[in-house]
Amino acid sequence: MIVPMSHILAFSGAMFFMGFACVLAQRNLIMILIGVEVMLNAVGLTLVGASALWGQVDGQIFVIFLMAMTSAEVSISLAMVVYLHRRSKTLEADAFSGMKG
Amino acid sequence: MNPNLLFIIPLLPLAAAVVNAVAGQFLPRRLSEGIAVGAVGFSTIATLLLWPLVDAEGVRAELYTWIASGDLRIPVEIVFDPLSASMTLMVVFVSTLIHLYAVGYMREERDYARFFALLNLFVFAMLTIVLADNLLLLFLGWEGVGFCSYALIGYWYREKKNADAGRKAFLVTRTGDVFLGIALLWLFSLTGTLSITGINQAAFDFGSGTLLLLTLLLLAGACGKSAQLPLMTWLPDAMAGPTPVSALIHAATMVTAGVYLLARLFPLVSLSSTGMAVIAAIGAASALYAASCAVAQREIKKVLAYSTMSQVGFMFLAIGVGAVGAAMFHLFTHAFFKALLFMGAGCAIHLTGENDIFRMGGLGRRAPLVFWTFLAGALCLAGAPLTSGFFSKDAILLATFAGGGVFQRILWGVAAATALLTVFYTFRLVYLVFAGSPRAAGEAHRLPGVMRWTLPPLAVLALAGGLLNLPVAWGGSGVLNSFLGRFAGREIHASHALEWGLAGLATLLFVLGWLLARLRYRPFPEERISPARDFLLRGWEADRLVSAVIVRPFTSLARILWQRGDRKGIDGFLEGTGHLLMAMGEGLRRATTGRLHSYLGGFAWGLIALLGWMLLRYAF
Repeated sequence: MIVPMSHILAFSGAMFFMGFACVLAQRNLIMILIGVEVMLNAVGLTLVGASALWGQVDGQIFVIFLMAMTSAEVSISLAMVVYLHRRSKTLEADAFSGMKG
Repeated sequence: MNPNLLFIIPLLPLAAAVVNAVAGQFLPRRLSEGIAVGAVGFSTIATLLLWPLVDAEGVRAELYTWIASGDLRIPVEIVFDPLSASMTLMVVFVSTLIHLYAVGYMREERDYARFFALLNLFVFAMLTIVLADNLLLLFLGWEGVGFCSYALIGYWYREKKNADAGRKAFLVTRTGDVFLGIALLWLFSLTGTLSITGINQAAFDFGSGTLLLLTLLLLAGACGKSAQLPLMTWLPDAMAGPTPVSALIHAATMVTAGVYLLARLFPLVSLSSTGMAVIAAIGAASALYAASCAVAQREIKKVLAYSTMSQVGFMFLAIGVGAVGAAMFHLFTHAFFKALLFMGAGCAIHLTGENDIFRMGGLGRRAPLVFWTFLAGALCLAGAPLTSGFFSKDAILLATFAGGGVFQRILWGVAAATALLTVFYTFRLVYLVFAGSPRAAGEAHRLPGVMRWTLPPLAVLALAGGLLNLPVAWGGSGVLNSFLGRFAGREIHASHALEWGLAGLATLLFVLGWLLARLRYRPFPEERISPARDFLLRGWEADRLVSAVIVRPFTSLARILWQRGDRKGIDGFLEGTGHLLMAMGEGLRRATTGRLHSYLGGFAWGLIALLGWMLLRYAF
């Protein structure tokens, strides 16, 4: 392997935490979704790296599934974002508390 | 003759009961009545035809095995020995006459099918008691008569008073039945059989303590059914039922079932002398108690009810002193004259539309036949010389006196005093109802012929019943005693001089009681109200005593259990658990804010905790 595993792990970890920081810090729903995408890709990168390390193809297949699933998820969540924006003219995450118990 | 034919006797009334219960309302009235009367009548004929089967050891017939489980085997088996045969004949014969009488008495009732179905079912259950050769089968009949008694006392159930009387009779007799049930189970565990013959044979090996307890348990069962102290309060109230029911169930047959039970198990009972003494004492006490109550009663049927209790007390006394023959003799004569008296009372009630003897009067001239037959019954009850009651009561008094000890002498004194009271209240009844001028204000009915013409046969039987068992001293041969043979209990050893002396004394008591009643009641007196009269009228306040000693403590215990135990304890615990969980839910509710960032914060903290834990594990 050209790139050592430790580098891959460090890179994807950093990416994961940057995505997570984005999710936590941003107030805008679209930015939060972007953060989630970044986290997902970090996980995907780890899977590909690990699959290359052990010479198993499963991890890579899993990543393809992950991509398909992510595209579906994004399409649904963007549709919801559009709907929410139409309803209340804002994309502030704190403006929505309909799930309050 | 085939002994299996014996099953016809109890099964005919059962079949009629089923027909009347299922289809009675759709049959023409005459047919329904005809089935009821005919079934019992044919039973009587069958009993007479099968009479030659009787032998001293008893003929047995088995229909099928009712219950078989391990060692326990309960066949439906009946036995036809002198004791059960004579009792059967009495039951079916008296039942036939009373059924006929009931046709007249219930003429205006619309619910005749229910009445006749229950009456026939009663006869079946009673015959089961009488013929059963097995205590469990006997118990089946025992409960059956209890149920029929309950349903017939409450026949006019639309009035709450009648339904209450039925319930009371059911509950009080059930109290006695519990003891009988315990005795049955105990006998089975001791002997491994429930056959009466087997138990009587095995009884010789029991210890004396066991025998005493068993006797007391059986006595308690008998007391409940026969309305003896202390389970007697139901009988006066049971008069709420129709008069034929009172005549059949509460005078002639069911209330004597207790006596019959003790006579059946006499070989067992007689082994415990203490138990016998208790039986005799209960009998004498009940006799005196009931006679004293009868003196003050106002309702014609309640006088007769207390008198029944008193006479059954005499029978218990006879069993207690070992004179089963005398007890059965009194049972038969009592069945005749008391059924007659009840039927006469029913006629009097019908004629005047009144229950209260102080508002009757003057019936002697209006209905001579009723008067003469009622007088015949009254003479027997009072024990007028040469009537059946005279001989049968005398036999009991003689047997008691001949017992010898101080205890027996005391019992004899109580019984003699009771006999005097009996004469007094009997003639009080006769004078108040039949003498003087009519005082009734109620609506009078015409008397159907079938009600009047069932009286004379019973009157003849009652007057001549003494011939059944005429003592040797009077030139007879004690037919019933020799017929009963080994069932007649102990031999009574008494000189003829003693017999004549006691008979003379009984005559004296009769004349004395009659004169007292004549002086007091012939010129119609206004009723005197006094505390003593009220005390006797309410049966020595027995109902109030029962309610104070048993009912009220039971009610308050039930209330404590209900409010403390059920409401506060069980409900409190369950509802408390529910409240706790709801409070916890309320607390958790605050965690769900509905805002995205608090959830994401939760994820972050969770992640930190997870990573921290892994770091710690990795580090150490």
